[in-house]
Amino acid sequence: MDPIQFDINPSASIPIYKQIVLQVQRMVLGGNLARGADLPSVRTVASQHAINPMTVSKAYSQLEVMGLIQRVRGQGMIVAATSARPKSLKQRLELLRPIVRSAATHARELDISLEDAIKEFKDHYGEESK
Amino acid sequence: MKTANAIEVRGLNLAYGTASVLRDVNLTIPRGAVVGLVGHNGAGKTSLIHCLLGAIVAQEGSVEVLGENPMGFSDPVRAQIGYVSQTPELLEWMKAKQYLDYISAFYAEWNAGRVNELMAKWGMDPKQKISDMSLGQKQKVALLQAIGNSPTLLVLDEPVASLDPIMRRDFMRSLFDDGAERTIIVSSHLLSDLERIITHLILVKDGKILVSEEWDLAVENLQKVRLPQPLEPQAGLISQHSQNGQVTAVVDVRSFDPRALPPSATLTTMNLDEIFVEVMS
Repeated sequence: MDPIQFDINPSASIPIYKQIVLQVQRMVLGGNLARGADLPSVRTVASQHAINPMTVSKAYSQLEVMGLIQRVRGQGMIVAATSARPKSLKQRLELLRPIVRSAATHARELDISLEDAIKEFKDHYGEESK
Repeated sequence: MKTANAIEVRGLNLAYGTASVLRDVNLTIPRGAVVGLVGHNGAGKTSLIHCLLGAIVAQEGSVEVLGENPMGFSDPVRAQIGYVSQTPELLEWMKAKQYLDYISAFYAEWNAGRVNELMAKWGMDPKQKISDMSLGQKQKVALLQAIGNSPTLLVLDEPVASLDPIMRRDFMRSLFDDGAERTIIVSSHLLSDLERIITHLILVKDGKILVSEEWDLAVENLQKVRLPQPLEPQAGLISQHSQNGQVTAVVDVRSFDPRALPPSATLTTMNLDEIFVEVMS
């Protein structure tokens, strides 16, 4: 399996550590990241994006506390064996909310109508799900 | 003795003649922090850096860097500090490698292997004479000089302004890839570079510290709001300015009471670029 690639935007108004936390949460809870799957090392992620390794460590520590990932000696971080996919839609929606909120703010700032924004969302939803 | 904080500044006031340059500056910078020092030209950033390095003595206040007063740095502490100034002062008649070899003699723990490796990685010609170099190439030499002894504290004053984005990313990687704990202070206008690496933000305006905060907290809690008229001075209000009859206020949502806002007002988060523009306007 290909190692995960994080999608990091340092100029977003969400802290970088939180961008990583949210992505891993979405991937694990959405079932796109299997139990036991490897996470890229702190050093790899930091070097790839030219970001501070402490930021990546902070994200991983938080994910570890949340029980989503675990440290395995000699192997680095893996998706925790106990991490279960939440059944409830409510939990999954909660993970989507920060991104939707930010998109909604941007849409308003750009003076895009709700209708046009929803149409845009629909187009992308179809595109990504293929 | 190893102190918990790399830098502590208390009540620093600096004036040149009648011109006040730094006003009641207080700072606590923990070890391992990467601090972005941000403000207009002439805001006092370089003067603050000079105070930290012992190049200037302020009229009032105290400064402690790595547990010592900069005016009386001991040799071991001085050797732990790397510094790159806005305009690199190099020995122009020397060649790149010759110069760095010469500098290495001043340090007990110079990592020649790493310097040579970075010199190759950054596309530098070891035999090029420094006087023949562009400003960008000179900056690379100055950066290598500053990181060659793996300093505990690295102070960078507009270090990479003349380097292209790819080189700047390579440089940012080199700050961390030796895995050592390092406190870094970077003064820069390249805010999108700072966003990648900083753990702390210091915003300086007219010699005063407007914001000194963990970056992850600043980015979440400093928010802007557009208003028809200015707010009364109050807790959590950081700045406001008006343009074309519309007021933009920046507030710290942890201490600001949202009941002071009209119902239609929306608070929005900002990136560093927006924080700079809104707070400094």
